[in-house]
Amino acid sequence: METLTKLQILSGAARYDASCASSGSKREGPACGTGNTSQSGICHSWSDDGRCISLLKILLSNDCRYDCAYCVNRSSNQIPRASFTAREVVDLTLEFYRRNYIEGLFLSSAVMQSPDHTMERMVRVAETLRNEERFGGYIHMKIIPGSSSELVRKAGLYADRISVNIELPSQASLQRLAPQKHKEAILEPMALIGREIQQSLVERRTSRLAPRFAPAGQSTQMIIGASPENDFQILRLSQGLYKKMNLKRVYYSAYVPVSEDNRLPVIASPPLLREHRLYQADWLLRFYGFSAEEILSDDEPNLDESFDPKTAWALRHPEFFPVEINRADYATLLRVPGIGVVSAKRIIAARRFSAISPEGMKKIGIVMKRAKYFIICSGRPFEQTLRQPALLRQQLLLGESSGSALPALPKQLVLPGIFS
Amino acid sequence: MNRYLYDGTADGLLSAIAWILEEESDPQQVALGERQDTLFEDGFFIGTDATQAEALFYRLRTQAPDAAHSLYYFMLAEKEGMESSLLHYISLAFIHGDKVNGHLTHPSVRDIVAVAKKAGRELHRMKGLLRFEKLRDGAYLAKMEPDHNIIHPLAWHFSRRLRAQDWFIYDARRRTAVRWHTGTLQFGTIEQFTAPALSDDEKMVQTLWQAFFKTIAIPDRKNPRLQKSNMPMKYWKYLTEKQGE
Repeated sequence: METLTKLQILSGAARYDASCASSGSKREGPACGTGNTSQSGICHSWSDDGRCISLLKILLSNDCRYDCAYCVNRSSNQIPRASFTAREVVDLTLEFYRRNYIEGLFLSSAVMQSPDHTMERMVRVAETLRNEERFGGYIHMKIIPGSSSELVRKAGLYADRISVNIELPSQASLQRLAPQKHKEAILEPMALIGREIQQSLVERRTSRLAPRFAPAGQSTQMIIGASPENDFQILRLSQGLYKKMNLKRVYYSAYVPVSEDNRLPVIASPPLLREHRLYQADWLLRFYGFSAEEILSDDEPNLDESFDPKTAWALRHPEFFPVEINRADYATLLRVPGIGVVSAKRIIAARRFSAISPEGMKKIGIVMKRAKYFIICSGRPFEQTLRQPALLRQQLLLGESSGSALPALPKQLVLPGIFS
Repeated sequence: MNRYLYDGTADGLLSAIAWILEEESDPQQVALGERQDTLFEDGFFIGTDATQAEALFYRLRTQAPDAAHSLYYFMLAEKEGMESSLLHYISLAFIHGDKVNGHLTHPSVRDIVAVAKKAGRELHRMKGLLRFEKLRDGAYLAKMEPDHNIIHPLAWHFSRRLRAQDWFIYDARRRTAVRWHTGTLQFGTIEQFTAPALSDDEKMVQTLWQAFFKTIAIPDRKNPRLQKSNMPMKYWKYLTEKQGE
């Protein structure tokens, strides 16, 4: 089979993986080789779906033994199958890298004969790139659940980032939709990777020559909308992963209907709005000091579709507001809807010089569309509506609908009883 | 309010600022502009002194590294008519140190920081969007038309990254070019640009990349608006993946 055909099959099969980050690792390139990495990561292009392309994202093979209901590569699906040789992947990576198309390689694979057999072939690609070709660019490797810890360790030594996909947010759904995958086979390598990363960091404190283990950390991905878990369950799972396993990122991937299996929900289009809200909530967990229990509860287990999770929290907590811009600390500023990390830092930097006036807020570039209902500047309020939550709700909704930066996202079609 | 003039060069601008900071008690009340050579021009002309300009930059770098960083990026933007703002900004930087970049309620600080940010953003963007093509002799060539004069820092970036290959970057808007060869960077200008012949396998690799670009997008999530906002169309001219679309 021609390389072009293989590339089309194997990149098409890899596109449902959300991660494309190339950040978190800073490496000087080898003197006689090609490539380095930059701490902030670099996007090289944006595909027609608007997502950034920074890595050559491909599968080594889409010839899968497993039959996971949600997956386009499941063994029962009648699609063309292909596999790359290690050399083909290495050459593609280098040719693309030399022309500055990409930041590096994101290698994943379907499970061929066995997890170990597959993992071994993937590790060989990374090994060739690093040792023979002196490639210093970014490598993200997926771990095949069930592969031996020896291979996981090897992968971590060559790759900048490694990830194990959780796929479905609960054991029950995994059993139902991916009966050949087991929770332990997913969580064990995650824990192992977490320990190895920790240990390498400790060793590197005493010796600069100690090997680096996945310097950009580990991440994972869950499919949203293929199984019945609510947002609260998902968010609590993410929270646990960030706190206990030290993950860098959890990716959420709106389920794209790729199969007509009767175990799956029938949806007209992927639940993009829900995915978007989950990412917003995820950001609140990682950068805004929120806990999952503050964002959602057992009584209200799903994220509001009409408001972002921070605004929804603010509407439930009128006692927290108004926030005095010239006095509030960083953590408090971060809780104001419409004020993010950048704005909060700007406010703190600017008020060192003089108290910020309402006009000053606009000057330093704070977007007041939502924030104005929740703040006061040196005792002066911006809007009077704060005392009437119902009116405030309405005001905010009106503001949302006019010229929002986001394109109109299709809503998820909810079919009651589909999982009963 | 005293008004000063300089010759319009970068060195002239910085040495004039150095002179004013030395001589004037309140630089915030001073205006600085480029000499236009008209008959009734008002102001005192300050001559260019490259060592003064350099000394000012180094002094700023020790006292306020972030502000020196902003100054560097501001100069890449080649903006005209902002000389007074720059003077006020630098004088504040010597008073407040790096905290000055947070003084965004000050109009001069806001203007300078905004221009510097924009230049920095384009530099970062071009690190990703620059596309090299392999030439018949094995070297690589990239063309670009950026809004800001970013060829120096961009070349430095690629000198750390693509060390093992010879390459050129050509700025078609400014007719400047840089060459990486045997471990050194050489900058120059090109009066007449003629496109050299491409290597035999170049078209094949480009076809592979274009195919990858097409298939990696999820058809159910098509979003051209988001694509354009992340990757403005002004950059598409030299993007391999956007040729022949």
